[in-house]
Formats: sequence, structure tokens, C-alpha cells
Amino acid sequence: MNKYICISLFAVAAGLFAGCNEDGWLERTPKDRITDEQLWNDASMIMGLLANYYDRLPQLAGVFNTGTSAEFDDAMWSGHVDQNGRNDLTYGDSYGRYWDYTFIRDINLALENMEAYSVKITDAQKKQFGAELRFIRAYVYFELVKRMGGVPLITTQLIYSGGGDPVPLQVARARETEIYDFIYNEIQGIKENFNATEGSRTRANKYTALALQSRAMLYAASIAKYNSLMSAPISTPGGEVGIPSGKAPDYYKKSLEASKAIIANSEYELYNPGAGAKGENFYKLFMDKGAKEIIFAKDFATGKVHGFTYDNVVRSFRSDIEGSSMLTPSLSLVESFDYLDGSGGALRDKDSDGNYIPYENMEDIFAGKDARLYGTVVYAGSKFRSQSVDIQAGVAAWENGEYKFKVGNLGTTYEEDGKKLTGFDGPRDNDQYVSNTGFYIRKFVGEDPQNGVRPTLASNWWPWFRLGEIYLNAAEAALELGEEPEAKNYANTLREIHGGFPANSIANLSIDIIRNERRIELAFEDHRYFDLKRWRIADRVWNGQESDPNAVVHGLYPYRIYRPGHPDNGKYIFERVRPTRFKRARFFRSANYYSSIEQAVLNNNPKLVKNPFH
Amino acid sequence: MKARILFVSTFVCLLFAGCEYDNFDEPGAVLSGRVVYNGNPVGVRTNGTQLELWQTGYQLYTKISVHIAHDGTFSASVFDGQYKIVRLAGAPWEDQWGDTIMINVNGNTVVDVPVKPYFIVRNESFRMESGAVTARLTIEKIVEAAEIQSVNLYLGKSVLTDQNRHEKVAGLNLSDYTAGSEATITAEIPENMKNDAYVFARIGVRSTLSNEFYYTQVLKVNLK
Repeated sequence: MNKYICISLFAVAAGLFAGCNEDGWLERTPKDRITDEQLWNDASMIMGLLANYYDRLPQLAGVFNTGTSAEFDDAMWSGHVDQNGRNDLTYGDSYGRYWDYTFIRDINLALENMEAYSVKITDAQKKQFGAELRFIRAYVYFELVKRMGGVPLITTQLIYSGGGDPVPLQVARARETEIYDFIYNEIQGIKENFNATEGSRTRANKYTALALQSRAMLYAASIAKYNSLMSAPISTPGGEVGIPSGKAPDYYKKSLEASKAIIANSEYELYNPGAGAKGENFYKLFMDKGAKEIIFAKDFATGKVHGFTYDNVVRSFRSDIEGSSMLTPSLSLVESFDYLDGSGGALRDKDSDGNYIPYENMEDIFAGKDARLYGTVVYAGSKFRSQSVDIQAGVAAWENGEYKFKVGNLGTTYEEDGKKLTGFDGPRDNDQYVSNTGFYIRKFVGEDPQNGVRPTLASNWWPWFRLGEIYLNAAEAALELGEEPEAKNYANTLREIHGGFPANSIANLSIDIIRNERRIELAFEDHRYFDLKRWRIADRVWNGQESDPNAVVHGLYPYRIYRPGHPDNGKYIFERVRPTRFKRARFFRSANYYSSIEQAVLNNNPKLVKNPFH
Repeated sequence: MKARILFVSTFVCLLFAGCEYDNFDEPGAVLSGRVVYNGNPVGVRTNGTQLELWQTGYQLYTKISVHIAHDGTFSASVFDGQYKIVRLAGAPWEDQWGDTIMINVNGNTVVDVPVKPYFIVRNESFRMESGAVTARLTIEKIVEAAEIQSVNLYLGKSVLTDQNRHEKVAGLNLSDYTAGSEATITAEIPENMKNDAYVFARIGVRSTLSNEFYYTQVLKVNLK
């Protein structure tokens, strides 16, 4: 009996060791994952991967980032009070920090794997995909250098040998110039490789790469020039931060060269539909996906939407109680739009004796301004979604020889005459979800009421690069290179087409005029912070002074005059206000020109040099 | 019912009990001191400059930032042990990176951290006269490479008066001033403080090499 059991057990045990001979059964293609061979031999899968990478392009206050825009663009936060920290901000040492080497590695990995595995796609496709990947990598390095200065320049995978020695993985920081030079060289290397995306607005092509060159080289040039003009230039001994001033002309030339190539291409045109008001056209430029002005955009569509309209729609147009009015433009932005007759942009709210100037209609005070004001800001008396907005702060009642300001809740009537006291759109000081400055943002906010309804939301796209910026880049580079007539031509063309100015409206161009043009043309497009940094004036503009209207966001409140029997009765006057919710003057320290590197990163890599002041 | 109350109150009591094993002791030592030049404290902007404390030998290696109060004092609760103090750049004194100060903290420890300001203010005095505060002062250059960028007299409602928080500021005309000589700055009392019993006054000097001011100690000036 025992013997049989032994034998049969033995047989079963032997059977266990036998195994199956058929490889085909064991080595099957997995159904739950994609192998490198599959991915890199299938053009549509590679496009899927690229879509992911395009989606991850970095921004600080871009891609409809309402919150961060409120922290440094020309606006304040008027949304929920629990986020009022945005109006009470100290720019910490780490503000703006960016260190995304995960993304850099993903791109390097993709480039290497495509070389290693791609056999079934054509060389032309390989060239195209490689160029796109390298464009994205150059863009990420640009974001890194803008915020951190020179960073470790890593263009291949770093592979750990397993020997317990991390030293080969520890790469020191490149000089700031080396990163900018890398970006330039990459663009030169790839710009002729794009063969399938000509005319595309959402995938990179030659002109997208040139647009990056135009912007990046301008940044490098202005850092070279303006850093050395500071009384205490910001630099490190190894050049990780700071660019020698001698390099400025070369960088300006490289920027101008790229700008000119884009402007010369008829595929791109300043948005100018001909018909319609200029202000309306400037607004449509961002909403019309057929606009030939857009060079490169992040697209949105049903299923991939954003909440910018929901966040920022004018109060009485909101669709539910949690969204509206969050990002409210400042008075100083409104005043930086010049009048079309050539006079400066300061609003005429009081005469030289300090008396209020009464206006028949509220919009009259804004009449004759640069058309881009209308396209960017919703102000008192203007229209939104073809309806008049209801902006009125209150009533100015004449009592004992002076105006007393009476305000009420939204949509209230004044007891004395039964007419409007405070409008449904405010402004109301120290309130939430209603403008605290008297202005709303129009740029990027959808005309279609459905754009502000959750969860369908809006699908207008985000412009990474557009021709308007390229014109200003060209104007700035040309001016810095001493070619004033050419520079003036670019600036004047842009002002004429977008702003509605007469031809040649600027007689004497200066860098201050160009800086102001960038401020208004590119407002809320994630430029302001970086522009002020590269001109090295951020510490003077955001100087922490309570008395400075650029460091402290101000507002302008319209009041209806109640003065029976007087000719001014029923007219409007405007009062400059300092919103209560804006708690702290913006204060940009030298330490903020380059963000600090995270301590954990420094601990892992002793070769990294700290940024100045950290 | 009674049982239920008992049950609930026992449970509530348990919430307060806590476990002995997962709690760390809080830091027991206080490191305090002043930032000094020649033995005199250096005034700074409140919430502006800071020192860094570093301690090696532990897995977590990160700075302990120690803010310097407006009058140049600082304090931090730490554990006993050896620390390094780093004087960061971005302050009204010469940066001293790489030049750390080693200190042993054992119980309550007091250290003075010597710094080298670009400029200091000497012999300052304030006088209240016909609706204005007049300050007399002498600026002394300490760091040869530095130039004066601005000299200001600040008036404020609280002891926290500086470049960013003040009610009134008046600047010195630098075109005819050389460091070492005596200067006078006059600041009118602003409208909203006319009826106050006193104001706080302070002088700040900023060099071209830093964006922080060196400040004198805050002085209370009686208006009445």
C-alpha cells in the first residue's frame, strides 16, 4: 500500500518539474500594457504620448490660472475670502520655484527609446516627433532658467549603476548663459525638421520654435543688459546666475532674427477682421480659434475644459453662487492704457482743483481710450454678453457742502429718490464674489453663457505664443540694438491694429513705452512677472510701499450724484479707493529674482550651488 | 441612559489621554541674542532679514530660519546641541556666506552675532517742533565699496516702523551729503496722526549693495 502511494506521489512530483514546452503559451503579448516596441513603431501612439507632454508644458500664471494671476498680475483677488492670502502675499524665497526633472527625464527617455526601438515609422516621422520632443524639452529648460537660473543640463537618461555610488548622477548647475545657448542651439537643430505640422496651432512647428527663440533670446539679452546695470548685480561666482553684459547684443540679434522670420510669414497675421469695433476684435482674438495671430496654443474642447469663465464672469452673469468675479483688474492697469489722442492714460476723475468731474454716462470717463482696454477689462457702463453691466458703487449725496458716499447691498435702491443705490455688479468693498476694484476681466471670459456653467465650462484655448507678442519682442530687440525706426514701426503697427490708434502714434520710442505696451497688450497672459524680473525692475515696481499704486492694487468706484436741483444731479463721479481686502503692498526682494532650490534637492546633490540670498 | 452617559464620558476622557510613546519632548533650550556691530544692536525691518540655524548629524537636514526682530534681537526654541549660524545675503550687512558661527546650545544660551553693516547711523536725535519731527544724524560708512542709495526718516504709529510700514517718510537729499558729516531730515506729522500723543521715529539707510535698510532703534517722540 505504502509503496503505491510513494510511487504515485513521485510521479506527480516529477510531473510538476516537467513544465510546458510551448513558448507561445507562456510568452504572449500582454494585453494590459504597451511595450516600447509597440509604442515606438506606431505613429498614433507616439502622438498620444506627445499629447501628454504638450499637456504638461509648464506655466506659472498661465493656462487660465486665475489664482496665481491674482498674486502678481495687475489685479487682485475678489473671490472667496478663504483665499484672501493672495491679497496678503509675501513672496517667499521659494515663490515661483520649478524643478521638474521628472518631465526632463520623460522627454530624454522618449528621445532615446525612439532611436532604440523605432523601425516601422518613416524617417520623416521620426524627424518630426524628435523635433517636437526637443522643442518641448527646450521649452521646459526655458521655464527652468526663467525661474531658477542655470540648472543642471541633462539631455540623456541618468542610469544608476547599482554600485552604491551616486556621484555620476550628481550633475552640477550649468551657467545661466549655457541654458539659453542650449535653447538656441536646439531650436537651430530642429527648426527644419518639422515636416508634418506646418500651419498647426497646437503642435510645434518651425515658427513655434522661432517664437520660443524670439522670447527666450530676448529674456537672455535683457538679463545680460539690465542685471549689470543694477547697483548690486545678482550673480554667482560660477555664473549659474547672471549673464555678462557683453552678451546682450548677440542675444538681442538672435531674438530679432526669429521675430522677423515669423512676421514675414504670411501664415501669421495680427488679428484684424476689418469690420467691428477694435475693442471687440481684440477680445475675439483670444476666442476665435481661426485667428491667424495665434502661433501656438493649448487647446480645449468638450471633455477637456477649463473654468476661467466660471471663475471670472461678471457677478450678475454668474450661474451659481461659488463662481464669478475672482480676478479683478486694478486701476493702475486701466490707467496704463493711453488715450487715442496721444495723451497719457490717467483717468480724469478730478480737475486740477481737486473737484470731482461729473460725467453724464459712466462710460464717458473711459471714452477715447486704447481699444484694448475694452477687450481686456469690463468697466462701468460697458457691455458684456450684449447686455449692459450693472456697475455702480453707490450714491454720492450732497450734504453740507460735500459729497457723502452712500452704499448698500447689491441691487438696492436709494430711499431718497427710489433710484439705484448699488448695482448688481457692485463694486462692493470687502465683499466676496463681487469686484472690489470696480473692474472685471473680459479677456478669455466667454460670451456664451454655457461657458460659465458647471460642469460643461469653457473650451476657448490658451495662447502660448501669439504674433502680438512677437511684434513687441521685435520692437524691444530692435530698440535695444539702436534701430529705432524699425522698432517704432513694429510698436506703431501693433497699436494701430489692436489699439485703434492712428498710424505712427508713437513719435519717440523709449523702453518705458515698450514696457507699458507689454503690460497692456499681454495682461493676464503670464508675462508680467517674468517681464519685470528680466528688466530687473520688479523690486522697484513691487516696492512694498503702501503709497504706490502699482504695489497696492487700487480701484475706481462710480457713484451717482444725488443733488436735487443742481445741474449735476443724476450724473456720475468716480472715487479712487484702496480696497480693504488688499492687505499688503506687494514686495519683491532681491531674493525673489531667482527662486530657492529645495533643500532636499541640495542634500541629494552637493554639487548644486545655492541661488543668491538663499 | 446612565450607562450611556458613563460610556460616552469614558470615551471622551480617553480622547484626552494620549499615548506616551509617540510624543517627542518639545525643545527645551532657548537660543537668543542680538545682531550687533561693535557691540551695538543693528535694527532691521520686521519680518525682513533672518539668520539660518543648521545642525548636522540627523537624517533631516534642513535649515531652521530665525527671524530677526526690528530691534536686532532674535530667539529660537531648539534642542541642546551644536549648531551653525549662517548670516544670509539680502540683509543690510555684508554677506558672509561660508563664514558660519559654531555655537553650543546648552540650556538657555545667549549669543551675539557680529555683522558688518554697509552703513551705520550715529548720534541720532529727534526733536518735535511746529508740527514736524526733525532728526539729526551722522552716517558712517563701514564697507568701503558701498555707496548710499537713500536715507530716510520714518514716522509710524507702532514700534514696527520701517520702509514697508510707516505713516510718513522723508528722504535726505543726497546730492550735497557725504558720509561722516551731520545731516538733518524733517518730516511733517501726517494729518491722521496730528492728534496722537506720540509717534515712533526711526532712521534707515540703504546702501547700493543691498535692498534692505539699516535702521536705528525705534524712538518714541512725544507730540504733546
